Amino acid sequence: MSNDDKTGHPAADALSAAERAALSKRASALGDQLDAAKLRRSAPGRSDSSQGNAMARGLKISAELIGGVVVGGGLGWLLDKSLNTFPLMFILFFLLGSAAGILNIVRQAQREVTPPAPSVKDDEDDDK
Amino acid sequence: MAAGGGGHSPIEQFALTTFASFKPFGIDASITNSTVFMVAAVGLICAFLYYSMNNASLIPGRMQSLAEMTYEFVAGTVRDNLDDSHEGRKFLPFVFALFAFVLVCNVLGMIPGFFTVTSHIVITAALALLVIATVLVYGFARHGFGFLKLFVPSGVPLWLLPILVPIEIISFVSRPVSLSVRLFANMLAGHIALKIFAGFVGTLLAAGVWSALSPLPLALTTALTALELLVAFLQAYVFAVLTCVYLSDAVHGAH
Repeated sequence: MSNDDKTGHPAADALSAAERAALSKRASALGDQLDAAKLRRSAPGRSDSSQGNAMARGLKISAELIGGVVVGGGLGWLLDKSLNTFPLMFILFFLLGSAAGILNIVRQAQREVTPPAPSVKDDEDDDK
Repeated sequence: MAAGGGGHSPIEQFALTTFASFKPFGIDASITNSTVFMVAAVGLICAFLYYSMNNASLIPGRMQSLAEMTYEFVAGTVRDNLDDSHEGRKFLPFVFALFAFVLVCNVLGMIPGFFTVTSHIVITAALALLVIATVLVYGFARHGFGFLKLFVPSGVPLWLLPILVPIEIISFVSRPVSLSVRLFANMLAGHIALKIFAGFVGTLLAAGVWSALSPLPLALTTALTALELLVAFLQAYVFAVLTCVYLSDAVHGAH
C-alpha cells in the first residue's frame, strides 16, 4: 500500500482510505484477469509451436547419434576391407562411433541448456 | 499405397525428371526439376534482395524492412554462435547465403506440386561438405597444425587419449553426416506424411459410409501443413546455427 503512494501525494491524500482500498482491490482483480487471459491465449499457441520445436529437437538429436554410429561403423568397415580383418575393426569403430554419437548429443544438449547470449528473440532461442 | 486420390505413391513427388540432357565429359549435368527449383530459389533470393534494397530509404518500406529483418536475424545468429568480432562477421555472407538458400528451397517445396530440393540427400550433403570444407581450410589457414589440437581434449590423463582422440575424430567426421541427414530426413519425412494423410482423404471419400470420416485427415493435413512450414523455417535456422557453431571451432581453435 505504502509503495503505491509515490505516484502522487496530493491525489492520494484526496482519496479516503476506503476508496483507496477499493481501487487497489479493483486493480489487483484486473491484474488477475489479465494474467488468466494471457495464460488462456498463450496456452494453445505455445503448445503448438513448442510441439514443433520438440519435434525438430528430437530429429536434431537423433541425427547426431545416427551420424556418429554411421561414420564409426563406416570407417571400421573400410579399415576392415583394406586390412582384411573383417569383424575386428568394424566392432571397435562401431563402439567408438556410438561413443562419439553420445558425445555429440551431450555437447548439443549442453549448448541448449546454456544458450550463448539471448539477443535472438525468444521463440527461436528455444531450439539450438 | 495406391490412394484413391489420383493413385500417387507418397514418394513419387521426389522423382527427378530430366528436362534437357546435358553430359559434358561424361558428367551428368542435365537440367532436371531439381536444377530448375534451385535456380528459381537463387533467382527469388536475388530478386527479393535487389528489388527490396534497390531504392533503399532511411525509413524502410515493407519489402526493405523484410530484407533488413532477414539480415538482422542472420547477423544475430552469427553474433551469438560464431563470434562477435570482425573475424566472425567475415562469415556472415556465407551463412546468410546458406540460410537463405535452404529456407527458400524448403518453403518453395511447401507449395503443392512443387519439388522440394532439400529432400534429396545429395543436395544437403553437398551443402554440409561445403561447410566442413570451409571449417577445415580456414582452421588450418588460421591455426596451422595447431588446429589439430581440436581433437585432443585438454585436461585428460594421457592413457585415455588413445580412446578419446578417435572418438573426437569420429565426432568431427560425423558432423557433415548429421548436418545433411537432419535437413534431408526432416523434409523427406514431412512431405511423405503430408502426402499420406492427404491420400487418406481420397481413400475415405471412395469408401461409402466411411466417407463421413474424410474431414478428419483433411483437418490433419491442414495442421500438418502449418507444422511443416514451421519445420521448413526451423531446419533452415538450425542449419545456419550449426554452420556458425562449426565455424567457431575454425575461428577459435581448440578450447
